[in-house]
Amino acid sequence: MNLFNRFILRIKKSTNLRNTSSFAETMELSDEILPSIYTRETDPVYHNESHLNKLYNIPSKDCATILSHGLMNQYKIQLKIFNEMSILIRKPSIELLSYLSKSDYAKPVNKYVIYGECGSGKSTLLYHLLHYGYNTNKIIVYVNHAQYWFTKPKEIKYSEIERNIIDLPIDTRIWLDKFKLLNNHILCQANIKLSKSYKWGTGANFPKDSSLIDLINFGIDQTRYASEIVAALVNELKQASRIGLCNVLVLIDNYNIFFSHYTQIKNSLKKFALTSEFSLTQNFLEITKSDWCNGQIIVTVDTAVNKDRQESHLPRYLLTKEGFEHLDPFLPINVENYSEDEFYTMIDYYKHKKLIRSLTSNGEKELKLLSGYNPYKLMDLCKHL
Amino acid sequence: CRSKESIRCYSVFPKHYTKPIFRKEEQDELVTNEKFQAATYLSFKPACIDETSSEFYDPLVSKFINYLIKQGKKSSARYLLERAFLSIKMIQLQAYNSCDSNDKEKIELDPKVILRNAVENAKPVMELTQIKRAGQVYKVPIPIDSRRSRLLAIRWLIQAAKEKTRTDFLYDRLAHELIQAHNNQGRTIKKKQELYKQCQANKSYAHFRW
Amino acid sequence: MVVLVFSQLIAFKHVKPGGCTYNLLMRINNNLNNGCLYSTEVSKKIDANDLDANENTKMSKAMKAYLERAKAYDDFIKTEENNYNLGKLHLSNMMGVKSTNFTQIDVDKAIRYLFPSGLYDKKARPIMKHPKDIFPVKKAAQFDSTGRPYHSMFYTTKPHYYKALYDVVECMHLLDATEDKLIKNDNHILVPIDLSNSQWVNQENLEGLLVEKISTEQEYFISSIEKLCQHPLANDVKDFIMIYRKLKQSVMQNSTIPELMYDSNNRPYILVTDCMRKNARGEVLVIGQGSGKITVNGLPMVNYFKNLQEREQIIFPLHFTDMMDRVDVEARITGGGPSGQSGAIRWGIAWALRSFVDLNMIQKMKVAGLITRDWRIRERKKPGQEGARRKFTWKKR
Repeated sequence: MNLFNRFILRIKKSTNLRNTSSFAETMELSDEILPSIYTRETDPVYHNESHLNKLYNIPSKDCATILSHGLMNQYKIQLKIFNEMSILIRKPSIELLSYLSKSDYAKPVNKYVIYGECGSGKSTLLYHLLHYGYNTNKIIVYVNHAQYWFTKPKEIKYSEIERNIIDLPIDTRIWLDKFKLLNNHILCQANIKLSKSYKWGTGANFPKDSSLIDLINFGIDQTRYASEIVAALVNELKQASRIGLCNVLVLIDNYNIFFSHYTQIKNSLKKFALTSEFSLTQNFLEITKSDWCNGQIIVTVDTAVNKDRQESHLPRYLLTKEGFEHLDPFLPINVENYSEDEFYTMIDYYKHKKLIRSLTSNGEKELKLLSGYNPYKLMDLCKHL
Repeated sequence: CRSKESIRCYSVFPKHYTKPIFRKEEQDELVTNEKFQAATYLSFKPACIDETSSEFYDPLVSKFINYLIKQGKKSSARYLLERAFLSIKMIQLQAYNSCDSNDKEKIELDPKVILRNAVENAKPVMELTQIKRAGQVYKVPIPIDSRRSRLLAIRWLIQAAKEKTRTDFLYDRLAHELIQAHNNQGRTIKKKQELYKQCQANKSYAHFRW
Repeated sequence: MVVLVFSQLIAFKHVKPGGCTYNLLMRINNNLNNGCLYSTEVSKKIDANDLDANENTKMSKAMKAYLERAKAYDDFIKTEENNYNLGKLHLSNMMGVKSTNFTQIDVDKAIRYLFPSGLYDKKARPIMKHPKDIFPVKKAAQFDSTGRPYHSMFYTTKPHYYKALYDVVECMHLLDATEDKLIKNDNHILVPIDLSNSQWVNQENLEGLLVEKISTEQEYFISSIEKLCQHPLANDVKDFIMIYRKLKQSVMQNSTIPELMYDSNNRPYILVTDCMRKNARGEVLVIGQGSGKITVNGLPMVNYFKNLQEREQIIFPLHFTDMMDRVDVEARITGGGPSGQSGAIRWGIAWALRSFVDLNMIQKMKVAGLITRDWRIRERKKPGQEGARRKFTWKKR
């Protein structure tokens, strides 16, 4: 008779966010015998080559915080059906984790650009690193759906302070809120003080040495100052890292959107704006500069977000000359489609989770050919089989 | 040139071309029945664009997709049904994961089986036709062909899904309808039962069939 | 046609299933020979001199005219045949081929070359064939100068048809007799008759065989001869039955399967150049000793075809023949849309796989409909209608 520690499934909706990030609490299966596709090592700090080609679960208590920025649709579905957030440990993630653990934080920041075919697992890699950053008490600056800022923003405001700059107050406030959720425990611990005073109007007055947390809270309350506060936040984080108060991990998904020429928003001159005319873009370009230390910058580039650049998935092409010069020097990391072993692991995983029933060997060959070993396409196929 | 002859001659394949047998199981049956040799001398039409010999092919799923097509957009219809299958899986897996091990066997996790059962349960055995006798139109219950009953079942299932509240996506509504029909509940089954009641009520006119 | 059959029967003369059958067949031979065709031997009996000589005997005008007509027809056919042979000689000279090697196929090719025609109907184009293929077969004189018919069943007005029926019955009696003998001896191996590779001749062909007009009698004849086929010893009279059967086309007869070619790495490959479906045109290269890589226009298949249906179609022939991980495919395709392109590639792969796979699997592919070309194209719009089939809205006034 097996005894499990089980928690009742609950769908939890975060109420103070416009974007409902709904996720289920995971089930604890601590006493059960795990199948060979899993590994019990749930701390990415300790992941190494021996854990290659295995799945690990993000512990349920950390799930809520780590995934506060919201998940991709695929993973939302996975979380709902499988009751767990499990990530496959692959070669590029082991590589990156080893670089992160061995880098010299006294030197200027290292930059990594993750590239690969559409659907090959770049965002998943970022989730892995997110977990790593969380476990190593870093402040994580995470951007994962920047493309919606330039196509379906909640509100557009032409900036009063600077000419030709477009603010997205509500989106900025939402991002600040998520940032706070993700990093709350570290911010309270680190107790960062402002290095200079900021004033944007009556009531928006922050003298030097006031707390960073107060600044963030103010930004969440007062939407109209949110954009300026994010700019200030970026500056402060860089300064704090230089001093050594904290370690910052910058994870930006689909970074090449910031260099795209295609948006659906019109600027004050009634023409379609470039992405460089947004305050949010400027902030995240600022944080990816090399003028600070004690941090890491990891960035993905994807063809899916750049509508005018679709021919290649390589970083130099997608980043454009501007982006390349901005980000240079960086280390490119290639995320490939599944290998044979990884393919079989994922099939076994889906069978274990009862997403698909048993397959014949012909069926497996078919899946290989139909999906082309692409992780996204494989999941897409198995969803309806 | 509107004669029947000329319209028929537009059909590219002559009359003696037969429908192909593209499933491996059916071909093996032919071999065991010793009819395979005779079949090799026939002429066969090419297999349709949605027919394959793979194990993931189901003729009922194919038919269902065809009934969902609007304005010739088959890819949209196919996406709809596949997404409905995913919704079915989500609902069933949630139920599966939250119930006791005794009840686990009762929950069906294969969406194709659920579809098959739903269509089977929704198939009516008889329907009403209008027959005119002495100037009056009577509704007479008659038995129906299996193909027509399958048509009615699928059509009702899709209509029932479309009639539901518009706030959910069609694939979710379809998924719910299929699961309910699989459990012999829901709008489609109710519609079938109502049809049977009407047939029962009009039983006395059944002799008008001849 | 009957001449051919006659020669066939001669060939079978030496095959001896049983002594009785041989005699029967010889008798059928002779019956067929008598007065069935415009054989020149018959007309020899009716010479012009004979006619004059027999003027004394009372011959009605009608009969005389009839005999003259028969002779005239024979002469006509003879001259036509001479002309044809002469023409064939000239043609072979023109084309520079030895006249002994000049077959009918060569004649057809030569005519197509020398008289190119743009006419749509093939039957309207210039032809040069042996007179027996062009002119309808006529029965020769049915009776001699005295008016006595040659055929015993002449007065049934369909002598050959009724003779055929009698032959069927004779075969039945023969088989029954052999069966009785075998029951006594009990040492014959029963070989059931195999008629799966042939089908009954249709009305047109039967009329040609019997040189008589048949309308409703064909069904009766076929049902009678089917009863003969159901006899357990029917195999003994198979030669007789096959006269009235037409062989069906099988897989091998349609086209020759190309040999595998080898490239620089010694890998076998087949290139199919005429893949088409709807408006898509292209070529498919199937390379053996592969691992299942499928490329379309330089891109992996998974990236080129967005929809699952197209990918499934391309994999269909590979899955059916179990060659999914044994073969690489490179396709170059232009025109059309996704369905057309994937359909064309599917046909190309199946056509190429014929060389990689044994005959049994090719037959299975044919039954599965993989090898048939899909000739369906978009139907044209007609004038007076809104589309191909859709008519304009009918307005009462």
